[in-house]
Amino acid sequence: MAGLTRSGVVYDARGLVEPDPEPPMTAQIDGDRAVIDATDLTTRKINLELKRIVYDEGVNDVTILNPGSRHSLGVGILKRCHITFEGSPGWYACGLIDGPEVQINGRVGWSLAENMMSGSVVVEGPAGSLTGAALRGGDLVIKGNVGARTGIDQKGGTIIVTGRAGINTGFMMQRGRQVICGDAGDGLGDSMYDGLIYVGGNIASLGVDCVPAEMDDSDHEFINRKFEIYGLGTPPDLKKFECGKVLHNYDALEPSERKLVL
Amino acid sequence: MAQKSIAIDAEVLAGKRFEYQEDMSLVDDLDLMELTPGRDLNWLEDIHLLEEDGIPAVFDRNSNAFLKIYFEIPEGREDEIARKVLMKHLISGNSYGIQLKERHCKFHQVELGPWVADSKSVGDDYTPPALEGWEPPAH
Repeated sequence: MAGLTRSGVVYDARGLVEPDPEPPMTAQIDGDRAVIDATDLTTRKINLELKRIVYDEGVNDVTILNPGSRHSLGVGILKRCHITFEGSPGWYACGLIDGPEVQINGRVGWSLAENMMSGSVVVEGPAGSLTGAALRGGDLVIKGNVGARTGIDQKGGTIIVTGRAGINTGFMMQRGRQVICGDAGDGLGDSMYDGLIYVGGNIASLGVDCVPAEMDDSDHEFINRKFEIYGLGTPPDLKKFECGKVLHNYDALEPSERKLVL
Repeated sequence: MAQKSIAIDAEVLAGKRFEYQEDMSLVDDLDLMELTPGRDLNWLEDIHLLEEDGIPAVFDRNSNAFLKIYFEIPEGREDEIARKVLMKHLISGNSYGIQLKERHCKFHQVELGPWVADSKSVGDDYTPPALEGWEPPAH
């Protein structure tokens, strides 16, 4: 049995965790930039190396080559920096981040940028279901289609999808904004408490308590600004949707419960 | 009888009120664009001036507490000032959630978060707190 490591992992009977907490020290560092070739590295080794060079070496611009669709890459980075993936990460990429500006030159699987607190993630391709789940802040830009339940339980931040979105987009959304340039599937904004959803294409059906709203100047300013920042060209004609507030019961909530949804 | 409060205020958690809650000049020169990632306000877009106990306040998600603002806020600058007060609170290390990191972080991270460059690291040497005189029951 391995000794107690810095990560606290002692033994993993299922073989899902690699108890060795030492980074592989394989990154090529050149001043403020570094390159990690992930070809022969496990998920944990890639993340250990990424954290080492961002936190310990003070590198602020990291490129990860050959991510090979490994899951959970780039998670838990809590510092301002630039991270580029040359290739496609798998599920749960860039979850729980706070500060990084991430560029993904590939496609991604489920739950990209889950619970992101701040920063940005730009994907030059499609993304799977649950993209931006529980997003708290920052910008998430998908230059392609996304799967179901985009921004489920979203609590802040902005999600922009240049293609289509699947069913239950914005399910239980509590705050933040979504811009879906293409079509949206059934149940758009189902059970949303708050937040705004803009859709450019056709909508299969609206979810419970999701209602149309009027676009105003602040909506156009916001959309034009985001499209300019991320080089997305001219925004399409968008329809705006918000919460109908039929399901609102905030006044009956305890103060501590009310704060949980802020 | 002592008055019971169910509110969670930043100043209650800290045991004191901070100067920047009362003096706008202490926050007015903060550059919010510099303090946030990307080319706009990023996560601060979701921060707005709210109200707690009838007093203008901004919500600090790091400590799940309201930070009340006692100075007069110029009309039209409500959200800007709320964001500046919050950022001053965070970069000063006064947020209670940030103060808990030193003792309770279980993994390596920067103490003050992504807002401050070269903030010290915490969480490298976490040891679970021990209750003196208590031992786990034999199973």
